[in-house]
Amino acid sequence: MKKMIALVLVCILLLGCTAQAAPSVQKDETVELVVFAAASLTETLTEIAEAYKAVAPNVTLVFSFDSSGTLKKQIQEGAECDLFLSAAPKQMNQLDASASAEANPDGLDFVLQGTRVNLLENKVALVVPDGNPKGVSSFDDLIARLQGSDLLLAIGNADVPVGQYTQKIFAFYGVDEAAVAQKLTYGSNVKEVAAQVFEAAADCGVIYATDAFSAKLTIVDTATKEMCGQVIYPAAVLNISKHPDEAKAFLAYLQGPEAAAIFESVGFTALSE
Amino acid sequence: MALSVSIEKKLGDFRLAVALETDGAPLGLLGASGSGKSVTLQCIAGTMRPDKGRIVLNGRVLFDSERRICLPPQKRNVGYLFQQYALFPNMTVEQNIFAGVRSGSRAEKRAVVQTALRTYQLTEVAKQYPKTLSGGQQQRTALARILVGKPELLLLDEPFSALDSFLKGQLMWELQNVLASYSGDVLFVSHARDEIRLFCPRVSVLNDGRSEPIAAIETLLTAPQTVSAARLAGYRNIFPLQRINAQQAHLPPLSLTLSLPETDGAAACCIPDAALSVVAPDTQGAIRCEVRGALYTDEKRLLQLHPSDAPEDALLCLCTADTPDGCADSGIWITIDETKVFSLKM
Amino acid sequence: MDWFPLLNSLRIALLATLIVFFIGIFAAYYVARLPRILKGVLDVFLTLPLVLPPTVVGYLLLRLLGPKRPVGMLLSDLFGMRLTMNWQSAIIATAVVIFPLLYRTARGAFESFDETLADAARTLGKSNAYVFWRIRMPYCRQGILAGTVLAFARALGEYGATSMIAGYTPSRTATISTTVYQLWRTNDDALALKWVFVNIAISAVVLLVMNLLERRQRLGGRRA
Repeated sequence: MKKMIALVLVCILLLGCTAQAAPSVQKDETVELVVFAAASLTETLTEIAEAYKAVAPNVTLVFSFDSSGTLKKQIQEGAECDLFLSAAPKQMNQLDASASAEANPDGLDFVLQGTRVNLLENKVALVVPDGNPKGVSSFDDLIARLQGSDLLLAIGNADVPVGQYTQKIFAFYGVDEAAVAQKLTYGSNVKEVAAQVFEAAADCGVIYATDAFSAKLTIVDTATKEMCGQVIYPAAVLNISKHPDEAKAFLAYLQGPEAAAIFESVGFTALSE
Repeated sequence: MALSVSIEKKLGDFRLAVALETDGAPLGLLGASGSGKSVTLQCIAGTMRPDKGRIVLNGRVLFDSERRICLPPQKRNVGYLFQQYALFPNMTVEQNIFAGVRSGSRAEKRAVVQTALRTYQLTEVAKQYPKTLSGGQQQRTALARILVGKPELLLLDEPFSALDSFLKGQLMWELQNVLASYSGDVLFVSHARDEIRLFCPRVSVLNDGRSEPIAAIETLLTAPQTVSAARLAGYRNIFPLQRINAQQAHLPPLSLTLSLPETDGAAACCIPDAALSVVAPDTQGAIRCEVRGALYTDEKRLLQLHPSDAPEDALLCLCTADTPDGCADSGIWITIDETKVFSLKM
Repeated sequence: MDWFPLLNSLRIALLATLIVFFIGIFAAYYVARLPRILKGVLDVFLTLPLVLPPTVVGYLLLRLLGPKRPVGMLLSDLFGMRLTMNWQSAIIATAVVIFPLLYRTARGAFESFDETLADAARTLGKSNAYVFWRIRMPYCRQGILAGTVLAFARALGEYGATSMIAGYTPSRTATISTTVYQLWRTNDDALALKWVFVNIAISAVVLLVMNLLERRQRLGGRRA
C-alpha cells in the first residue's frame, strides 16, 4: 500500500515538472495571450476563443475571469496581462493615463494608448414570466401601474450592479422609490430576481439583457440611453503586454462579425466603432 | 399454577435455547456474563420477542409462536427488577411507586402508595428523587413499584451484582423479607452461586445460551454434571481428559493419569478440594509441586501449584487453611484421592 | 424607527420554531427506530438543508411552491393561498432551514436515552404514549431544549432562503436580517447595528427564559 502511494506521488511530481518544462519548448512556436475579463463575459469569450483557434492557431488564449474591481487591482499589483475587458468604464478609467484625474486618482498608466475601444453594451431590460400574466408591456406601462394597480416588481438592491441603473430609471420617471415601496421587492443577487420572475412570484423584474437571456426570461422592453445611461464594456490592450501585435489582432477579432454574433446571441449589443 | 418457558432466539451468532418450569419456590438461573440471562428475562417480560417457543404463566399464554400469540409487556403482569433498578429519574419515590399501581381511582391509588411507603420504610424519602437515594432505598423503591401492581411473576436480574459486600448483606436480608410475603413465582438470575443458594432450592445453569436441566441446588453444588455448572458452582481444578481404558483416564494438561471409571459423554474431570491433601515430603504416591502463587480469600489460602512433571503452564489450585512447614523451598507434596474425582460433560 | 421588521421576525421565528419542534421531535423519534440503511438515507435527506446554501434552499422552495408549480397551483386553487412573496412563505423557508438543527439535537437526545427505563415502564403496564411523554421526553428534555433554542436563534438570523421566497418589501416582508443587510449595503451602518442589537437582545431574553424554566423544573418537581 505504501509503495503504491509513493509511486503515485512520484508520478504526480514528474507530471508537474514536465508541465513546467513544456511552455519553454512551445514558446518559440506559439504565443500565449493573457486576457483579464469581467465574469459576465465567461461563456462568450470561451466560445470565441474556440473560434479564434481556426483564425490564429499559433495564439493560445489564457483567461482570468473575475469581478472588474478585482482584476484592476491585480493589474495594478503587477500581474501579467495582455488584454483587459471590464464590465464598466470605471475600472478601465482607473488604469488609463488619458482619463481625468477624477477618474484615475492614482495616475496609473497601464492602457496602451490608441487601443481602447467601447466593445459591448449591455441593456437594462424589463422581464416578465412566461405568458406575461399581468400583461406588462413596457417601462412606461410599468411606471404607470406601479403607482396604481396591484403589481410586484423585483429589482436588485444596491449590491447588484443593475440595481443602481434601476434607481436611475426611477429618477428619470420622477418616481419616488419610497412611495412605491409596497410594490417592490429587493433581491440580493441577480439569481434571486431572475428566479422570482421566472416562477411568477413577482410579476416583472429589471435585470441586464444578458442575465435575461441566461435565465430564459421574456424581455418586454429595454431601457434607453436617456433613462439610465449606457452600460458600456470597454476593452484595451495593456502597455505591459509582451505581445502587443497579437493582442491587437485579437481585439480586432473581438470587434469583428463572428465575435459580434456570439456576443449578441447572449444579449449583448456589439458596438462597432 | 406456575411459569413454563420453552423458547429459542437467535441474536447474531448467539443462540438462546431455554426451557424451565417453576414449582412455587423461587427458581434460580445461574449463568456467567453473556450467557443469555437478561435475554431470557426480557423474553419472559415481553420486551424482547423469541423466535419460537411458548411461555405460559398461571395458565395464561404469554407467548406462543405457533398460535401467533405475543402479549405486549403491559398485559403480562410480570414484575421485572432490573439490575440498575430503572427508577424514573424525573419522578420522586412517591411518583415512581404511583406509576406502578395498575388499578383503582386516583384516591385509591394514592392510598396504595402510602401503604407501600410505610411497608418498605420509604416514607422519609417519599419526595426525593432516585439519584439522592442510597442503594438500599433504591432497591426498596423499585420493589415497591413492582409489587404494588400485584404481579404474578417476579423476575430478579442480578439484584446484588454491583454492590459492596456490606450493602449486599443488608439487601439480601431485605429481599428475603419481601419474598417471604410474596405469593407469586420468582425467577432469580445471577452469576453468583451464593446468592442463588440463599434464595432458590432449585436452579438451572445457563451455559452459553442453553439451559441445562433443573437440579436441586445442593445437587448442583456437590455433583455438577457439566463443566460450566462446575465452574459456576465454584470448582476450580477442571481439566479435559483422554480415555485410556474403561478404568483409567489421562489428563494432558497435568500429564497425569488417574483411575476414573468411564461415564457417558464425559469430556473433562474435576479434582475438588476434598480430593487434595498435603502430605509429608517423599510420601508414597505423592506428587511434588512448586508453589507458583498464593491468594487469600475468606480466611483461606488459595495456592497455585505446579506439579514437577507436568507441562510448563500446568496449575493445580489448592485451597487450604494451614501452611505446611518448609513448603517455600522444597515445594509441597500432595496426594489425590481418586475416589473423589468426578467426570463432567461439556 | 419602523418596528415592522421586529414584529415580522418574531412571528416568523416563533411559528417556524413551533412547527419544527413537533415535526422534528417526531421525525427524530421514528427515524431512530428504523433499520440501519433506511435510517442513514433519511438522516442525509433530513439534514440536507443544513449543508445547502440557504439561498439554494430558497430557490428549491420557490420551484416547489411558486404559482406556476403544481403544489403552488393546488394550494391557490383549493385555499386561495399564495406561498410566495408574503410573510407566511418566510415561515416555510425558515422552518426548512432550521429543521436539521432541532432534528439532530433531538436525535442525539433520544439515542442517549436508556431504553431499560422504557422497558421498565412497559412491564409496569404503561402505554407507549405514557412512555414517550412522561419518561422519554423529560429525560431528553435538556437536549431538546438546547436544540429548540438553537433553532430559534437560527430562525431569527435567517436570510438567504427568506430573501428568495418572500423577497424584501419594507413593511410587508422585511425581517430584521433582510433589513440589516439592506441598511448595511446602503451604508446606513448605525441603523443596521441598532437592529443587530435588537436581535441579540431577543436571543438573550429567550435564553434567560429557557434557563429559568429549566431551573424551576429541576428544583420544583412535577406532579405525576
